[in-house]
Amino acid sequence: MASEVNTDFLHNKKLDSIAADILRPVGITQGFIVWMGFLGISLMACIYAYYIQWDKGLIVTGLRDYISWGMYIANFVFFVATSLVGMLISSVLGLIGFKWVKPIARIAEIIAVAFAAIAGLVIVSDMGRPERLPYVFMYGRIQSPIIWDVTVVTTYLVISTLLYFLPMIPDLAISKGRIGHTPKWLQKTYQILSVNWNHTPKQYKILLKAVRIMLILIIPTAFAIHTVTSWLFAVTLRPGWDSSIFGPYFLTGAFVAGSAAVVIMMYFVRTNYKLDKYLTEHHFDMMGKLLVLVSIVYLYFNINEYLVPGYKMKTAEAIHLNDLFVGEWAFMFWSVQLLGLVIPILLLLFKFFRKPFPMFVISIVVLIAAWFKRLIIVVPTQDHPFLPIQHVPKAWMVYQPTVVESAITIGTLLLVVIIITVLVKFFPVIPIWEMAEEQNEIDSKSKE
Amino acid sequence: MSHNSNSAGHQHSNRDEDNVNSRRAFFKNAGLFSAVTVAGGAAIYSGYKYEESKAGHDMVKVLTSDNRIVEVPRDEIKDVKVDADQLRKQGREGLKGHRFVMVIDLAKCRNARKCITACQGAHHLRPYEYHINTLVMQESEHTAPYFMPKPCQHCDNPPCVAVCPVDATFKRQDGIVLIDNERCIGCRFCIAACPYSARLFHWEEPLMAESDKGKPYNIELNVPQRKGTISKCLFSSDRLREGKLPYCVSACPNGVYYFGDENQDAVTNGTTKETFRLSELLKVNAGYQLMPELGTKPRVYYLPPKNRLFEFKEEKNPVQETT
Amino acid sequence: MIKRYFTLLIIVLISMRLSAQVWVAPAENETKKSPFAFDDASRKAGAEIYMTNCKSCHGEPGKNNAVLLVPPPPDMSSVKVQANSDGAIQYKIAVGRGLMPSFKNTIPSTDVWKVISFLRSFNDKYVQEVSKNDGGGASVPNVKIKLNWLKESGQIQISLTAPSKEKGIQPVSAAEVKIFAKRYFGNLPVDEPRNTDALGKAVFNFPKDLPGDSIGSVQLLAVLSNDAFGDVKVDTTMSIGVPTYRAPLNEQRAMWNVVSKTPIWLLLAYTIAVLGAWGFIIYVFLQIRAISKEGSGKDTESAA
Repeated sequence: MASEVNTDFLHNKKLDSIAADILRPVGITQGFIVWMGFLGISLMACIYAYYIQWDKGLIVTGLRDYISWGMYIANFVFFVATSLVGMLISSVLGLIGFKWVKPIARIAEIIAVAFAAIAGLVIVSDMGRPERLPYVFMYGRIQSPIIWDVTVVTTYLVISTLLYFLPMIPDLAISKGRIGHTPKWLQKTYQILSVNWNHTPKQYKILLKAVRIMLILIIPTAFAIHTVTSWLFAVTLRPGWDSSIFGPYFLTGAFVAGSAAVVIMMYFVRTNYKLDKYLTEHHFDMMGKLLVLVSIVYLYFNINEYLVPGYKMKTAEAIHLNDLFVGEWAFMFWSVQLLGLVIPILLLLFKFFRKPFPMFVISIVVLIAAWFKRLIIVVPTQDHPFLPIQHVPKAWMVYQPTVVESAITIGTLLLVVIIITVLVKFFPVIPIWEMAEEQNEIDSKSKE
Repeated sequence: MSHNSNSAGHQHSNRDEDNVNSRRAFFKNAGLFSAVTVAGGAAIYSGYKYEESKAGHDMVKVLTSDNRIVEVPRDEIKDVKVDADQLRKQGREGLKGHRFVMVIDLAKCRNARKCITACQGAHHLRPYEYHINTLVMQESEHTAPYFMPKPCQHCDNPPCVAVCPVDATFKRQDGIVLIDNERCIGCRFCIAACPYSARLFHWEEPLMAESDKGKPYNIELNVPQRKGTISKCLFSSDRLREGKLPYCVSACPNGVYYFGDENQDAVTNGTTKETFRLSELLKVNAGYQLMPELGTKPRVYYLPPKNRLFEFKEEKNPVQETT
Repeated sequence: MIKRYFTLLIIVLISMRLSAQVWVAPAENETKKSPFAFDDASRKAGAEIYMTNCKSCHGEPGKNNAVLLVPPPPDMSSVKVQANSDGAIQYKIAVGRGLMPSFKNTIPSTDVWKVISFLRSFNDKYVQEVSKNDGGGASVPNVKIKLNWLKESGQIQISLTAPSKEKGIQPVSAAEVKIFAKRYFGNLPVDEPRNTDALGKAVFNFPKDLPGDSIGSVQLLAVLSNDAFGDVKVDTTMSIGVPTYRAPLNEQRAMWNVVSKTPIWLLLAYTIAVLGAWGFIIYVFLQIRAISKEGSGKDTESAA
């Protein structure tokens, strides 16, 4: 984002065509109603599953005293991880000055907002006493990493929302006269949200300053959110969690999951809304390179996390690592490491695989693997506490997720999809004014 | 009077479970009214008694909370009315001047499991829900197996308490780590943090949820137990308040447990009721702590399983067979 | 299966070996008799003592609900137990053997007789022989126990006296006295039991390092156990312990303590971070307002 804005683009003829392209899918369409209907009905089933859990207690899950954190916590970590990409793309890459992130930035922010918003709900689904959630604010102990997590997740959500909203203000002003095909209430919403924007240089100056503050602030916040999430595990004494590199290990893993999520959403937007003019093969190529980069960094942390204790094989660590490498968890462990990390790195080194469709497929595999990777971080450690598990029912010794538990987890994913769908469908998904500004620059350059 | 104090106790209990329902509210008010009336009457009466007995006080020896014996006039003693708020307050404060410790003599444990059943009975737990559990331990392949009763270690650097987000679990001045199940949000971070697997979670309605309904919550007994909250070994702090040994300690038929006060350097055997110097017992028997390398500073000591008077005989898991 | 039989065999062998060793009380104990006659009051008191100290292993007499130990604790109403003389039972409770603990330091001898009184109520054929020293009542001569602190040697001196009709107050000699320091859950024996000398005195060593309360006070209990006198106890408080004050365990600031005891560095770091981040966020919200103010009243369509 440049520090000064040349508002000439407002008079460029191309603005009209860009706005028309980007605003075409905005509004309620048949497809949207069908899709939302499907999501809504599926969500009802998941809400019913949660009702069962509310009524009967967490006994309806596969969790028991020894493996007392399972799918929900893994899902929470996954959500927080995925939402982190908002920071990486719009802030780190944007501030460094990469131009290609411009059309993707808003997509990254949508993912950040959706996943961060639902992460809070995910953690509530794991609570034995969800109705006591206010206690966290009433009696919060600031020594507890959970309180730190609540604080930073809330902060991150607000900053991400601002980073989604602020750069969209000029777009809303540009759009409000051009969305006659949409319902009245949406036009009214645009009117309110565009906060009297009329493209004065002073407004641009204020806006750019505000965005810049948020872009800088989101970096420490994002580091904090995932580092603190990793501390939920790392502050315990358990082998497998008791690791000093958990913060960066989680953080780099987050970028892999988030980048994959962005690619998947880019692909949907590009194909469904025919925006291939703005989300070009070049963008996929760059995202492919980014994915390779973050995956290699993550691989490096994986090697550290497993090789160092694996070399020493301390008693308790050895039990845990044997379980992962050759034991009960070996299949999942190696699948995740290979499909989610090693193979994507190898494939994405070739230009062919960085084309939109191959990228889309690879990203789906990477994202699924990322989810299971969180499960592998959360569950196996609890299989072997320091003292033996004895004199309890056999079912307590292994974690067997139930249908209810899975349904609730799927429900949270549906909520994310719903939020993404709504944001994509009701607001311009690609920054109109930034595209127009860029176009204007190109035009003026070619004139010279 | 006792009836009235009971009904007053009910009002404070189970706020989140008592429905706001006018009929019950009426009874509550009626109970409160009668309690006030009787208390007022009692006050007037005791004032009268006081005037009457001013001349010659009947002195009584009383043990104060800081463990000193003082004399007070008998008629100036006031009964403390015990209701849920009072129970919570005294339960969070703990017993002044004490540092409770437990010593477990592994040489004597032959897995009678009486401690476990006594504990489960007192705390309304199911047969497979443990505040204390006896584990079969074997350090390595060629070392002798032995039985190890494992209660909460009531650590002086408790990792479980550190991570609690809402102050539901806390450490008292006498060293005991308790749990407030009216505060607990059920996040189970403490279960994850405890290296001794000392905590349990109520995944479903607790065993006696029905019959315990409406009882004032005793934080020192953790009864009524509640669905969706944590429970754990409490060192039977309700019994300690009365100067009695914990449930498990008194129930052991084999003299495994010693319990006492580190400040007094004394522990009492639960079976024989003999009292020993704590420091000597640990010195003579080479007492040790469980996993001290973790820095948790447990308040439970173990005496090694040497010179056992019986043959080690491993039994099949009683719970696994029945469920 | 074979393993099970094998363990059974071991159990049987061990219990045979133990039961083969008949437990006989020494002759002088065998003939000891209770200083008082058993009556309803003593039976009732004995039942209470039995329930707290003995039931956990022996179960309730006649109900065969003893704990399954090896060797099995006998039922107290059984013929085998009841065949013992009162003195033999008293000896066995006091001394113990194998798994049966010794109760001589925890149950005073009068109380042991009360327990025997309770046990005998399960034996219809029992006829009590009361000790000749006593006329049958539980009357105890007016023995006085006095405790003195010998500061130089750090010892406790005890003097026993009893009034006698002929000679006035006389020292009681050759009586066994025990001293205990009271602790929260029980009485800690101080030194060995000692017999009084001809002057009715005995001296006990007191440990130098025994903690007292905050001003060093220790509550002492001197007990005279004698078949002739029954039990005589005296309770005194002396400032002879090590003054002990140890701070409450939850006093210092720590990660595990309550919110008001948060470590200062954490409190500062958290507050600064939260205020800092939210300060900027609020500032940005104000900027949005500034944008709105800047644009209000102007023609919004002109630019677009």
